[in-house]
Amino acid sequence: MSKKTQEELDRWSKEVKRGAVTLAILALLSKKRAYGYEAVKLLDETMSFLALEQGTVYPLLRRLEKRELLKSEWDYADPTKPKKYYAVTEEGLKALGAMTQTWSVLSREMRDVIMEVE
Amino acid sequence: MSSSDPLELIDQYLDRVRIYLPLDSEDVIVELQTHLIEEAERIGGGTMTAGSAMMAIERMGDPKNVAHEYAGSGKKVGPVPAEYVAPLSRMLIVLAGVALALIVGAMMIGATFSDLFGFGIENWPFSIPIMLFINITIILVIIGGISLLDRSKPLTDKTTLESLFGIGVEGFKPKTRWEAAGDLVMGIIWGVILLLPPVVALYTDAFRVFYIYVVVFLLLGAARGALFYLFGENNFNLSVEAILSVVWIGLALILVNVGFPVQYVYVNQGGTWVTFDMLEFFQTNEIPFVPFDLIWAFVMFITVAIAVWRIIVSSMKITMHLRAGKGIWWQGNWGERRRLRKPFWKRVLGDQDSIQEGTVYHDGYMDSEESQ
Repeated sequence: MSKKTQEELDRWSKEVKRGAVTLAILALLSKKRAYGYEAVKLLDETMSFLALEQGTVYPLLRRLEKRELLKSEWDYADPTKPKKYYAVTEEGLKALGAMTQTWSVLSREMRDVIMEVE
Repeated sequence: MSSSDPLELIDQYLDRVRIYLPLDSEDVIVELQTHLIEEAERIGGGTMTAGSAMMAIERMGDPKNVAHEYAGSGKKVGPVPAEYVAPLSRMLIVLAGVALALIVGAMMIGATFSDLFGFGIENWPFSIPIMLFINITIILVIIGGISLLDRSKPLTDKTTLESLFGIGVEGFKPKTRWEAAGDLVMGIIWGVILLLPPVVALYTDAFRVFYIYVVVFLLLGAARGALFYLFGENNFNLSVEAILSVVWIGLALILVNVGFPVQYVYVNQGGTWVTFDMLEFFQTNEIPFVPFDLIWAFVMFITVAIAVWRIIVSSMKITMHLRAGKGIWWQGNWGERRRLRKPFWKRVLGDQDSIQEGTVYHDGYMDSEESQ
């Protein structure tokens, strides 16, 4: 792959990731609540393409909480490691449903277009 | 000076992050702390070592970038980079607050402004903020040079600049439970002492008219201490603190004119305790300098300066909490910083119970987080 192609791929990947990350976090947390570190690892394991690091995940969790798509609860069961658990709110589930629908349409249409190219 | 204790390394690193975060960001610190411990344990295969902690810290990155990512919307102000806006403004507010507190305290004891604008500032209370300003400017210039040497420091060591920014963090720290307990206990003790008839007998005639108001104020101060001890820092308690500080300034206006409150002391004469008139002693012995009113003015100056500082801090914190949508009342936290490392006395005496199987850390954490 040429340097120019690599640059274009990097730029495009960044844009795709930016759009996908909110959906990915909401989808993962809708299945099971998770605390920060757990969410970072979960995203790292299941969404390798996104290659999300803590520097991206934590601020995003806080932003989504502020926008009331996520709610949080502290768990002090292990006092050496208090955990802030994040879960999806009702509003978050509605947003997730809408985003999933749009994403499905987008990916189906993209697949059709790409197949034509191939 | 990096430690070999992994928890101390994490603690030192988080101290650096804390400097760049806005006030009231302790939940962010706790979240990062848990992340670092778990990451260090993962890297160490279940056991945290100094090496694994250092690797986890290095993966997290530069403290000011981490704090900036968390703070989110930090914006550059003039030539100040976004990540420095919070610590710098906090430090400047502390310095301005100290200056204001000293000036109001000076006005209370009758120091004049006459020399202030002609640069002939000889009144010592005014010279303090000016000296502070000049010295801080010099320090900032020196620090600019020293910061160049800080570049090779490990991530866990504070830079010189961060040590200076630390003033801002300390200045706004919530009251500790010990301080609150001190307010409560000392308020009651002094309130009761000032009410005792043998003590009342020592007052000047002028103070005898007002001492009951001082007692009431001390008892109200004790109630404030109880509120902070039980419920930590919240908007209601901060409002109580601000109102009491305003009341004290009003009371101090009267008291400073009343003069030194004690005229007599007890002396033992042939086995019996009698009162001895100090003022008369100075006058009859023709001692030219009577220090009592000066001492009293100094006491008033200090207490009023503290009251002004408390009003400034309380007002800022109340506004900040209201902006965060916290309302008036919640179970607040205290100023005890959660220390991950084992306290010195436990290290000396040994505290085997607190060391868990498979992990090497101990935590001084107390359940003081806000429940809201």
